[in-house]
Amino acid sequence: MFVKPFAYAAAGSVAEAASILRAHGPEARILAGGQSLLPIVNLGLAQPRVLVDLGRASGLDGLERANDTLVVGAMVRHRTLETSAEVASSWPLLAAAIRHVGSPRVRVRGTLGGSLAHADPAAELPLAMLVLEATYDASDGEHVRNLGAEGFAVSYFTTTLAEGEVLTAARVPALEEGVGWGFHELSRRAGDFALVAAAALASCRDGVVDWIRLGLGGVGERPVRCPVFEKASAGASIDGLEALGDTIVQGLAPPDDTAAGGDYRLRVARVLGLRAAIDACRRSIGARS
Amino acid sequence: MNEPRTTCTVTLTVNGRRVTRSAPAHVTLLRWLREAGVVDVREGCGEGVCGSCAVLLDGQAVSGCLVLAAQVDGSQVVTASGLAGEDGALSDLQQAFLDHGAVQCGFCTSGMLLAATELLGLGEPLDRDRVVAALEGNLCRCTGYDGVVDAILAIAGGARTAKR
Repeated sequence: MFVKPFAYAAAGSVAEAASILRAHGPEARILAGGQSLLPIVNLGLAQPRVLVDLGRASGLDGLERANDTLVVGAMVRHRTLETSAEVASSWPLLAAAIRHVGSPRVRVRGTLGGSLAHADPAAELPLAMLVLEATYDASDGEHVRNLGAEGFAVSYFTTTLAEGEVLTAARVPALEEGVGWGFHELSRRAGDFALVAAAALASCRDGVVDWIRLGLGGVGERPVRCPVFEKASAGASIDGLEALGDTIVQGLAPPDDTAAGGDYRLRVARVLGLRAAIDACRRSIGARS
Repeated sequence: MNEPRTTCTVTLTVNGRRVTRSAPAHVTLLRWLREAGVVDVREGCGEGVCGSCAVLLDGQAVSGCLVLAAQVDGSQVVTASGLAGEDGALSDLQQAFLDHGAVQCGFCTSGMLLAATELLGLGEPLDRDRVVAALEGNLCRCTGYDGVVDAILAIAGGARTAKR
């Protein structure tokens, strides 16, 4: 490995991190868990001049329930979410998505904020947050903006965070009683990023869909919701969802890349999207019976 | 104000021994350890996938190539050689790896041992699927995984010396 040397700063606070970022411009990067950034640094794909470590910054590792919202500090490690009884019981979609993130070693070090800000279009957590309709706190050290998960990622590895702004927490609404979830992904090796991932929430009564939220990762430059399917499925019977499969991928045109062709991704997205939606419906019915 | 530094002095407790070294700020824990003479930690892929650079950092297995030494100043690190007794006697787990043919070229073995050590330390009931899931991030390119899984299950089942 031929890493271009960089300088390192352990920020004691978000304000300090933001000020170092401002002082060094775009060649300074936040180092959160390092499980996405350090691989691309090791491979020479990113050549930051300064890494600003949030590992010793105060106030970023809280995991707490405030009313019906889970507030997750940006430096909360995946392992903490994976083993949280609160997350397992009230945010099961998040718990399911976490189990697909990297290997056990990645989950020990990787952080929620790092994963969200890195914005890999095939990453599981940004997809789960999109479907859960989470919001993110972004701080420049003085002011905090609250950003919706929808629209946060604008393209590959690109978010609406401004220069010098730090993602500090995610706020995840709890599911209402009787809402079901589904999560499926296909990857070539265990622990890889998904070729395609699908996440769904659904509310069903008496075999009829009240509403479904469905999102896909790995099908383009950022995770997306499936608005045509969501609209078409409202009022449908669960047995009738299969016939709506084509609407899941309507408007999507994933590019070919070294891992898979775009047409293959579309076919996988249709299948996994349906499975996730149907799982969510069945769990909703199960919770109400 | 914490100005960015290009050199960091880092103190770690490595296999029970306190080590302090100065190194460039971009040096990974993997390189820091190897330059300190701890060469049972090995570089494979450099992107956290293969597991041959795994170490126990404060009791949890992490990829040495995806952690900067500067990030973990003050931590406890255990490598595979730290699992053996002070007299060099193999631990039960290490002996079980030998007994079950879990080692061929040995390049991945250190990481496998550490993943297994973390898993066994959790004290959960283990079955084959759970062991396989815990080894997800450890790649072997020669002997395969069955012997490794057998060795871990033997220890989980209470085997002291599983000689066949």
